[in-house]
Amino acid sequence: MTAEVQKYTLAQVEALELAPGAEHEDLEGWVPTLATDADLRDALDKALDYRGDVTLTLKSGERFEAFVFNCKSGPTLADSWVQYYTPSAPEKRKVGYAEIASIEFTGKDRAAGKHWEDWIKKYSEKKAAGETNIGLAPDRLD
Amino acid sequence: MAIPISQMGTVAAYVLKKRLSGNKRYPLVLMLEPLFRCNLACAGCGKVQYPPHILKKQLTPEECFAAVEECGAPMVSLPGGEPLLHPRIVEIVNGLVERKKYVYLCTNALELKHRLPEFTPSKYLTFSVHLDGQREHHDFSVCREGTYDIATEGIKEAVRRGFRVTTNATFFDGTDPGSVRGFFDEVMDMGVEGIVLSPGYSYDKAPDQNRFMGRARVRRLFRAILSNRKPNWKFNMSPLFLEFLMGKRNYECTPWGSPAYNIFGWQKPCYLLQEGYAESYKELLETTNWNEYGVASGNPKCANCMVSCGYEPSAVLEGFGSLKGFLAMVRGSFSSYRDEHALKLLNDPPPQASLVQIEQPERAHELILEETNQ
Repeated sequence: MTAEVQKYTLAQVEALELAPGAEHEDLEGWVPTLATDADLRDALDKALDYRGDVTLTLKSGERFEAFVFNCKSGPTLADSWVQYYTPSAPEKRKVGYAEIASIEFTGKDRAAGKHWEDWIKKYSEKKAAGETNIGLAPDRLD
Repeated sequence: MAIPISQMGTVAAYVLKKRLSGNKRYPLVLMLEPLFRCNLACAGCGKVQYPPHILKKQLTPEECFAAVEECGAPMVSLPGGEPLLHPRIVEIVNGLVERKKYVYLCTNALELKHRLPEFTPSKYLTFSVHLDGQREHHDFSVCREGTYDIATEGIKEAVRRGFRVTTNATFFDGTDPGSVRGFFDEVMDMGVEGIVLSPGYSYDKAPDQNRFMGRARVRRLFRAILSNRKPNWKFNMSPLFLEFLMGKRNYECTPWGSPAYNIFGWQKPCYLLQEGYAESYKELLETTNWNEYGVASGNPKCANCMVSCGYEPSAVLEGFGSLKGFLAMVRGSFSSYRDEHALKLLNDPPPQASLVQIEQPERAHELILEETNQ
């Protein structure tokens, strides 16, 4: 929890009727400009929350797809790293913030278009069309 | 309470041993997620929104056993994803049973019936079947028609074969408490050992972010559901945790009580939040700033949480940690929680449109009172 996050008082928590859910930015396709260290940190924070792959390009020129799931954010870029899986390697990998030249949100957002309202709309349409065994299927893995 | 005495005894002895050794943070249930792949696509789920290469990854049995041995929890829950999609799930379950861990295999039961011959009934193994309510409610909740019928066939076959079976329900905003009570009747008639239930949590990665109840609404709903209980209803949960859901008790979160391990590592700080991963359980305990979590912290991400993985350990620790707590637990196991006001809540209109487009069954106060007294 970062210091700038709004805290609730206990009374507010106990009186809460509906929980404000997370607001997800539409990041699919986003290519942030990394002009400063803060830009890079902000982009990697967003990559951690992103429900899809990103493409990282390193200062060495290496470029790869990655699902970023962990980080250590230290005082300097040299003390900081992200941990990720790539589609082609079985093991977890790490790369230092200081090695990253660019980040692109190239992968599909795996939760986009899957809201409760989307399901109700789809259900209603299919029901009206007389369909039976209506349902959502998981995304294909190949 | 539906939990067998041998299991309660194991947990009580474990808690006592930890207390006597002065250990302040220890796990009760390991949430061991062997994979994230699932054969359903529920809108409320925050566990399966990953790219295909992540969904194809899975823990090996050896990784599962190492995690179990490292943290030492007496109970292991196998959620997911759908664990029955793991090609080595039988090997994992058998290895955990050999280690005398009480295993809860959480499944949507779409594959259960035809996989049952591969498993051996044991007091250590429970199939915890995901059912969110009566047929229409469940099918709509998991976004696929027909799942209730398949799951209940699996339940009945598992019961017939001598397995321990519980049902496991998550409730979101719009839940009809009267229908939930009808659902309890249905599953108890199927012969399950007990019912497990929880309010939904606003997973950051869930597609839908608008249907998660806050604490005030959770307490109203669970007071309506869990008051005036029928004698045949059994719950595979701490009675004190159920009182917490009904608003009769206050607890602080015990996030280390149900640590989560999956392909990413040991999840910080708990099963619900994903704020980084540790390589070991020891590292998880030592590097997580626990003061930043739980309702008292003011952390907005914990504000609506009343979920069992954080608060049931608190209830269990109270129940086995003092004579007063133990007596309260025993009392709660046998109480019907008579509550006239809760009966009125059953007929209140839901706070927003019902989850399911079916008629809400009319339930007269007198009828329910009569049923409660049976």
